[in-house]
Amino acid sequence: MSPATIGLLGIAGLFLLLALRTPVAFAMLFVGFFGLWGLEGLRTAGAVLVTESYSSVTAESLVVIPMFILLGNISSAAGFSRGLYDAAYAWVGRFRGGLASASVLGCAAFSAVSGSSVATAVTLGKVALPEMRRLGYADSLATGAIAAGGTLGFLIPPSTGFVLYAILTEQSIGRLFMAGILPGLLLVVLFIAVVWFVAWRDPAAGPAGEALSLRQKIAHLGQAGPLLAVIVLSIGGIYVGAFTPVEASGIGAALVILLALIKRQLSMDSFRKALLDTLKTTAMLYMIVIGANVLNPFFAVTHIPTILGEGLQSLGLGPYGSLIVIILAYVVMGMFMDGLAMLVVSIPIVFPIILQHGFDPIWFGVVAVIVIEMGMITPPVGLNVFVVRGVAGDVPLSTIFRGVFPFLLAMIVALLLIIAFPDIALVLPNSMFD
Amino acid sequence: EDMKFANFMPPTHPYVAGAFQPFADMVKEKTGGNVTVTLYSGGELGGGPVEQYARVLDGVAEFAVGLHGYTASAFPLTLIAELPGVVDEETGTKTIWDNIDKLKGEYKRTQLVSLWSSAENVLYMRDKAVRSPADIAGLKIRVPSRNTGLLVESWGATPVSMPVSEIYNAMQTGVIDGAMIDGTATKAFRLGEVAKYLTKGMNTTNSPFYILMNRDAFKALSDADQAAVLEAGREASDLGNKVQLTVAASGIKAFGEMDGKEVIELTPEEAKAFDDLSSGVTAAVVKEAGEEGQAVLDALLGN
Amino acid sequence: MMQDTRPAWWRSYHQATLLLAGFGALCLLFMVIVIAVGVVMRYLFGQPILGSNEIVQLTSLALVMSALPYCTAHDGHVGVDVFDNLLGRWGRLFGDLLSRVLAVGVLGHLVWRAWLKALDAFEFEDATNMLDLPIWPFYAILVAGTALCVLVYLAQIVMLLSGKK
Ligand code: NA
Ligand code: NA
Repeated sequence: MSPATIGLLGIAGLFLLLALRTPVAFAMLFVGFFGLWGLEGLRTAGAVLVTESYSSVTAESLVVIPMFILLGNISSAAGFSRGLYDAAYAWVGRFRGGLASASVLGCAAFSAVSGSSVATAVTLGKVALPEMRRLGYADSLATGAIAAGGTLGFLIPPSTGFVLYAILTEQSIGRLFMAGILPGLLLVVLFIAVVWFVAWRDPAAGPAGEALSLRQKIAHLGQAGPLLAVIVLSIGGIYVGAFTPVEASGIGAALVILLALIKRQLSMDSFRKALLDTLKTTAMLYMIVIGANVLNPFFAVTHIPTILGEGLQSLGLGPYGSLIVIILAYVVMGMFMDGLAMLVVSIPIVFPIILQHGFDPIWFGVVAVIVIEMGMITPPVGLNVFVVRGVAGDVPLSTIFRGVFPFLLAMIVALLLIIAFPDIALVLPNSMFD
Repeated sequence: EDMKFANFMPPTHPYVAGAFQPFADMVKEKTGGNVTVTLYSGGELGGGPVEQYARVLDGVAEFAVGLHGYTASAFPLTLIAELPGVVDEETGTKTIWDNIDKLKGEYKRTQLVSLWSSAENVLYMRDKAVRSPADIAGLKIRVPSRNTGLLVESWGATPVSMPVSEIYNAMQTGVIDGAMIDGTATKAFRLGEVAKYLTKGMNTTNSPFYILMNRDAFKALSDADQAAVLEAGREASDLGNKVQLTVAASGIKAFGEMDGKEVIELTPEEAKAFDDLSSGVTAAVVKEAGEEGQAVLDALLGN
Repeated sequence: MMQDTRPAWWRSYHQATLLLAGFGALCLLFMVIVIAVGVVMRYLFGQPILGSNEIVQLTSLALVMSALPYCTAHDGHVGVDVFDNLLGRWGRLFGDLLSRVLAVGVLGHLVWRAWLKALDAFEFEDATNMLDLPIWPFYAILVAGTALCVLVYLAQIVMLLSGKK
């Protein structure tokens, strides 16, 4: 059997395992492990298993996961999240789906300091999901907004996706960051439009609250104070250069714990529960990271990405024909693969084709990053959906995938707009750097 | 037999075309096609430079490229070559290979294939021009290794350790004031976009690179193929060194040519102020490595 | 309250994972303190803790490994539930058994390889870069956490086969 055949069998196996209720992390782990065993022998498969496990659980950049989860859990336990959402509700609750829109805006704000979609979805999900449920929002809308909003972390600068793309293609990180801003805002607007549309179709999904007087609104701001202060201090600290993201996450968690202790809003029992819950979610997310890191080398040695690229070149399509095939290939790959891994295996093949057809490399970086964002919320392997499922507790995955669907359409619209009007991506970098 | 070559650098990195692909081609040619090597770049077989040593040790890939400094405890003797004032960046690779027998003990768990000394580390500064140790006193400088940390500390600055991929963001936001890294970083990590000054000319560290082979995979080869791989590796060492120096030099030149950026080449007197402060660093590190360390130092210095 | 019909060994291993999670909670709080103190040291005393990132990284290993058995025992791993009705009772049982048997095999192999790594790291005195901390104890923690996770899955297989889960 050729490596590519084994690769396709691996994809089929992944589907089968997922359908048979194998946890996502383990399905990726099994297919990666047995695939590598079949192609490269047991020594290599075992070696990948042990090095990826060790390097994943000791990765410094992932430390933000337990820290931000802890921040969210303590905030919930101490009632800070509730205060923040009550305030948000006072201000935008009278609009249909207002809180879901506010959550999208929250995701956008957090995206401006976090380069990772997972961190964005975890942080906002931990704070916003329980509150939206409390206020009667449908699970599908609430989780969909967070899962989709979380992907903004990857588009709105800073973005690990742009940094990797820049290094792979020798483009300027600064230009790419600039190029991500307007498309990011465009997506925010489209996401809010989706929320509005969903809540308009089904008013029970995002019920409108009663309008409050300005005086009452201002009074509610006080309740938002503690969490707002922590967020401004820790996240704002990244902005002004006081902290690295890891430091901000640790400082944020420390501040929330201190505040909760000072205000005596944390019982021993709820503290214990918050810690245990943090551990459970953390272990779950790390297993997913390990699974993805074992699966990716398997896909690399199947050479499927290379074969796709060569096939594309032999088709001899025109510029837009090639572009559409590339985007479709990315969408399909995005169904199974982690976004960063996808960039690494595909860019060396795809990038020359893009340049050859005269597309702007910065513009294509934006297109690629948006398509990768889509992959994070498409079934069956949608990292952000899994993350939201992890923090949401008992919402079925199918509900989240259903909730995410209209947001996926919004991303397609954004993509089409950016293809039709490249200036959406290019006007900022071109005006600021020349 | 087809073998995997794990490379954490992007496929567009000059090393790939300048040293790694030529190595693969040489192995194929010298073994008469018995052994072929496929490159997996950009961390396709697993990301990050730090874990490369474990990957080749355990057999994720038959070959891996990496830096000794990331697993310093495994290479205390080889890393004497990275200390300030020990080897010259132009002739360092040859000096090391001439004395390779003294370092052999560190390559028992793997098979040493290639080894080259790199361009010397220079000081990229966010917004402060550094001409004297006083200019850098108390500033936070990212360092690539413990030894470089000692060097920076001797100048009076505060060393900070962080992965190379985070330098860009950390420097942009001001979490660090500067970074010690070689001149390839202008392009490879886009430091030309976030740093304003670059200072060079004092004695600094350099960061040696290796290509290692999995021990079992090497032992499974015939004697002739083993010899062929080692021969290709030795030639790749020189290629690696050449690529490094060329790219680093052009990186420093490109930095100086960018608008509003300045390369500060210290005068001998200015450099002496730094070197006087750091003169004890090499001796202190070698002392930790014991008698063996002293013997390696003497050999590398040609004493 | 309903009477707990689950066997005593089942309850005691749940206790064990909880105990381990307690250690994980300590790691979590320790991590918060190390990061926060590091920042305070840098700003108030101009003296960052060189190598504090190594402490944080190794703590995160201990944290994840002590949380993994707890997470597994409480079915914390996210799965796809779209086809549950389609699978039927026997299909679900088959899937649940299959994934646990595979998990025992693959994680068991991981235990074995990580054990070899721990021995290797001990023999060659592998240590971290900045602080020179020995690495073998951390591979040992990886072994212990994964091994407990395997035990949890074995216990779940027994419970599934005996129809109690
Ligand atoms: Na971002
Ligand atoms: Na997907």
